Amino acid sequence: MRRIAIAVVALACLLISSTALAAYQYAPPRQWTPGASAGSTFSSNWFANSFMTYGSGYDKTVTFIRNTNYGWVNTKRGTADYLETYAPFDGTYKAHCVAHTYFWGSCNVR
Amino acid sequence: MFASRRRRWLVALVVVVVVGAVASAVVASSFDDGSSLTAAIDEAPLTRVADIAADDGGPALGVYAQLTDTGHLCVWEAPFATSRQRGGGCNTVDDPLNGRPVSFTLSYDGGPATVDVRNATLFGLALDEVASVRVLMSDGSWQAVKLRKAKVGADEFKAFGVRLKTAVLKKGIEPTAVVAFDASGVELGRQATGIG
Repeated sequence: MRRIAIAVVALACLLISSTALAAYQYAPPRQWTPGASAGSTFSSNWFANSFMTYGSGYDKTVTFIRNTNYGWVNTKRGTADYLETYAPFDGTYKAHCVAHTYFWGSCNVR
Repeated sequence: MFASRRRRWLVALVVVVVVGAVASAVVASSFDDGSSLTAAIDEAPLTRVADIAADDGGPALGVYAQLTDTGHLCVWEAPFATSRQRGGGCNTVDDPLNGRPVSFTLSYDGGPATVDVRNATLFGLALDEVASVRVLMSDGSWQAVKLRKAKVGADEFKAFGVRLKTAVLKKGIEPTAVVAFDASGVELGRQATGIG
């Protein structure tokens, strides 16, 4: 019985972790207002940062912030439904997204 | 009796964990996190539609269009088509320019203060009937943009990529809008932008 319980719990943990690893949604779907922003944790393993809106034409920014001088790197600002930038190869960064208008959307880093 | 009670608690615990895990997986998958689009972006080929020359300390870059099997038209800026150093955005093919005559992405390093910005570029697409595109700066000056005809799928556009002078940005002067004009110089539309 205990072995079965351990196996089931392990399977459940695997299910949860695989869901979490697909993309880290550091700002879940919500209503954004001008100037509102969100950020992920710092990591040296980020690949890309994206801002996805529901509906088109909404002004927004995605960037990576360096952990040493807090400077912005590879910033992209635009109104595309899906806006994406890539992480620098070196150093530790956090993904950051900013809204410049009112819309519904979410920010993801992978 | 004690062992039976312990077993019941264990079974209850297992049931709670499994139900919780399945529920979290179902809820997570119900949110559209763009994973189907990102997978499509990784698969679809890119077509170079404009060039940004190396200048002002910045590298030579290409502007690329991409049609995905999810029904999106993406426009990227990258050193080359297969580069991982790619940034930009995607719209649905039925509204590729967000209902405007011109759609673009502002790209830069540094900031968010304008005086700290470097390697700033603007790239995007305009409708085929657009005759010229100019960047309106915060001091009221204009920067010209060179347009290049671009066929993406069955549609004709005009593509562009332009580098913004670091010396101008260092004075605190930033782009405020990209404006599209017809052949008579009449404004067809504009998209606001800015640093930060």
